[in-house]
Amino acid sequence: MPESVHTLVLANELGEIPRLADGIEAFCGPLAPAPKDLFALQLALEEAVTNVINHGYTDGAAHTVTVELQARGRCVTAVVSDDAPAYDPLARPEVDTRLPLESRSVGGLGVHLVKKLVDAAHYERRDGRNVLTLSRTFGPPAGPL
Amino acid sequence: MEITATTQNNVAILALSGRLDALSSPALEQHVDTLLQGGARRLVFDCTALSYASSAGLRVFLGSAKKFRSAGGSAAFAALAPAVREVFELSGFIGVLEIHPTTAAATSG
Repeated sequence: MPESVHTLVLANELGEIPRLADGIEAFCGPLAPAPKDLFALQLALEEAVTNVINHGYTDGAAHTVTVELQARGRCVTAVVSDDAPAYDPLARPEVDTRLPLESRSVGGLGVHLVKKLVDAAHYERRDGRNVLTLSRTFGPPAGPL
Repeated sequence: MEITATTQNNVAILALSGRLDALSSPALEQHVDTLLQGGARRLVFDCTALSYASSAGLRVFLGSAKKFRSAGGSAAFAALAPAVREVFELSGFIGVLEIHPTTAAATSG
């Protein structure tokens, strides 16, 4: 069993992004994460949730995206779940980050960052929902300032 | 996020403070477009106080560099905090965008 669990229930609108970031920071507080670890987790989850909000739904209706945070030791796992049509963000082709400025686009960059910033990423379609599980193991606690 | 716009020797400077995320990045894009339409051809993003940038913000950064270049100008990025610099690195932006250690270096160039 995880040592602590917290679930954030977000509406499918970008106005929820600051609440997501604040919720992650509050949940991770007891772990005293280094700024780099907190930043990485917030960024990976913003990308995952923003993807669902911007591209997941085509019906214009209100939906909820849930982010369940679990801590086991210094490993934080986030389970992002939504009821949008089946879509595996991890299956996107890799972006080429070596192209010159003119040829660069940022389509797919969010997912690229997710993969770089977490230690494990897993997608499954379960009970009519997209379930994306992301984990990052934090380094040692940040020392006093 | 807070955006403070100033001009120094014909260089437009946007000082960014706080978090550039999916919610705040459209406001930045509007600032950039307004500067371009107003005739600015050199833009420096002062990132000293920028603590966070996600792909939505990176999209605006990349778009700004492209728009200024196609208008015959240029856009540069100055004083990246370590965390923001790492996102630039992971995104492959270090080689394609003009980056300076300080805003003074970017505006004098």
